[in-house]
Amino acid sequence: MSFTFQKASPTAAVVRIGKALDFRNAAEFKAACQEHARQGIRYYTLDFSGTGILDSTGLGVIFSLYRQLTPAGGQVVFASVSRPVQVVVQLTRTYKVFRQFPTVEAALEAHSASAPAAQVPQRPSDAA
Amino acid sequence: MSDRPHVLVVEDNKTLRRLLEYRLGKVYDVAVAEDGQRALAAVEARAPDLIVSDIMMPVMDGFALLAALRSEPDTQAIPFIFLTAKADDLSRQKGLRKGVDDYLTKPFDVDHLITRVGQIVQRSQVYQSRLTAKIGRDFSDRLLPREMPAEPGYRTVFFSRPKEDGGGDLFDWTRAGDGSYLFTVGDIMGKGLQAKFYAFSFLSYIRSTLHAMLRETVSPARLMQRVNEMLITDAVLEETFASLLLMRWEPDTHRLTYCNAGHCRPILVTPDGPGMVEHSDLILGLDLGTTYEDRALVLPPDSALLCYTDGLNEQVTRSGGMFGEGGVALGAQQALRAEQPVHALLSWLLRRSEKPTFDDDVLVFWLQRQPLHAGDGQASAPATGWRHHSAADHRQPNGA
Repeated sequence: MSFTFQKASPTAAVVRIGKALDFRNAAEFKAACQEHARQGIRYYTLDFSGTGILDSTGLGVIFSLYRQLTPAGGQVVFASVSRPVQVVVQLTRTYKVFRQFPTVEAALEAHSASAPAAQVPQRPSDAA
Repeated sequence: MSDRPHVLVVEDNKTLRRLLEYRLGKVYDVAVAEDGQRALAAVEARAPDLIVSDIMMPVMDGFALLAALRSEPDTQAIPFIFLTAKADDLSRQKGLRKGVDDYLTKPFDVDHLITRVGQIVQRSQVYQSRLTAKIGRDFSDRLLPREMPAEPGYRTVFFSRPKEDGGGDLFDWTRAGDGSYLFTVGDIMGKGLQAKFYAFSFLSYIRSTLHAMLRETVSPARLMQRVNEMLITDAVLEETFASLLLMRWEPDTHRLTYCNAGHCRPILVTPDGPGMVEHSDLILGLDLGTTYEDRALVLPPDSALLCYTDGLNEQVTRSGGMFGEGGVALGAQQALRAEQPVHALLSWLLRRSEKPTFDDDVLVFWLQRQPLHAGDGQASAPATGWRHHSAADHRQPNGA
């Protein structure tokens, strides 16, 4: 287990993902998210600074969290996205769903202002 | 919870219970219970890999415990060793009839018991992992085609080497009524048997959806939209996410129409160099409102389209990073002139890999158009490599 949860407000939490989120710790991550969701956490900032591995199982549990939260008006956002994670996010086009912020502070600020300006990286236009 | 096998000792004699707990505890995670009833509670809390039990005990004896465990599907296969002062044949026979795995009479040699426990635990672990591997292979086999389409002027090569602990890679093709082909390349997120099972269910669904829908549309995007709706609303496949590439191929016009839901982008390999087939939409199963788009390209002569799953780009290189799309593209470029392009690509990657084998499932589909004959602009067969138009290979080891 490399991730840690930290409450930022009664409804928001920051999750430091740590070195890896993959098939080895994905189930633990999911259980921890569900526990926090039960406690009323609706807004999750995933801090990917220093994360070297995000495999498809890891991404899958983030998707599960997203699917669970969005009907209740919740949100999952990414902060300090490391290069290996950025590659996965680009490949799966999930930047279309998860807002990205340069820092955790920026993500939390956006949340408390509740009119967040999304920082969506631009793709190069498609080849003809 | 540790990875060590878990052994439950059921014994009413405190001294013997302590001794066994101490000796077995050097190798296993040991739990203890004083009688059958407490043993059942312990099994419910955590199912052991093996039970060592006395026969004569207060409250519930060993036979009653064994009968209770054998009557429940979840506990009926737990290996069981009886331990008793009763040297008489009647108890021994009764025990064996009820399906104990071994029977030791007191006074017994503790080393002998430890050896027997070790043998039985190992045997059941081997059996379990073989069963898992067999089911995994069975799913993998059913997820892959036996043959490939054969069209003049084209070479279609398919290669797959699933890993037992790999994920749910899938590939399929079907022919539409108008002579075009529809290819499906995908990856169900997750690892192991569960991912393979979902891939199997998912592919069955895609096959029937395509079959039903091909009469009204050959648009990959419309098919993708339908598959996404299914994935999000279907109760069984709930929480299943998949990347998928649907591609329609018209061999007569060399046109490829594709829709990509977050899958590894195909690589177009031309004599001038490789290029990414850029456009992609959101991965399947995430958002009901996702719109999918068809894009088209014409495969030039003497070029190939490479489709694959993430086992290639996530393979670790000798310098410790991943190959990425760029690395795969470089390998594909080397493969364009090879007699066996997929073999050449995989060998190229392995020569530059940290390990001599692939870490994950490998799935590659290679669609190559032959060069135009110089002078008349007509396609013709060069000296080598075009006699075998199609090949489906599941068994090739590592491509090395």
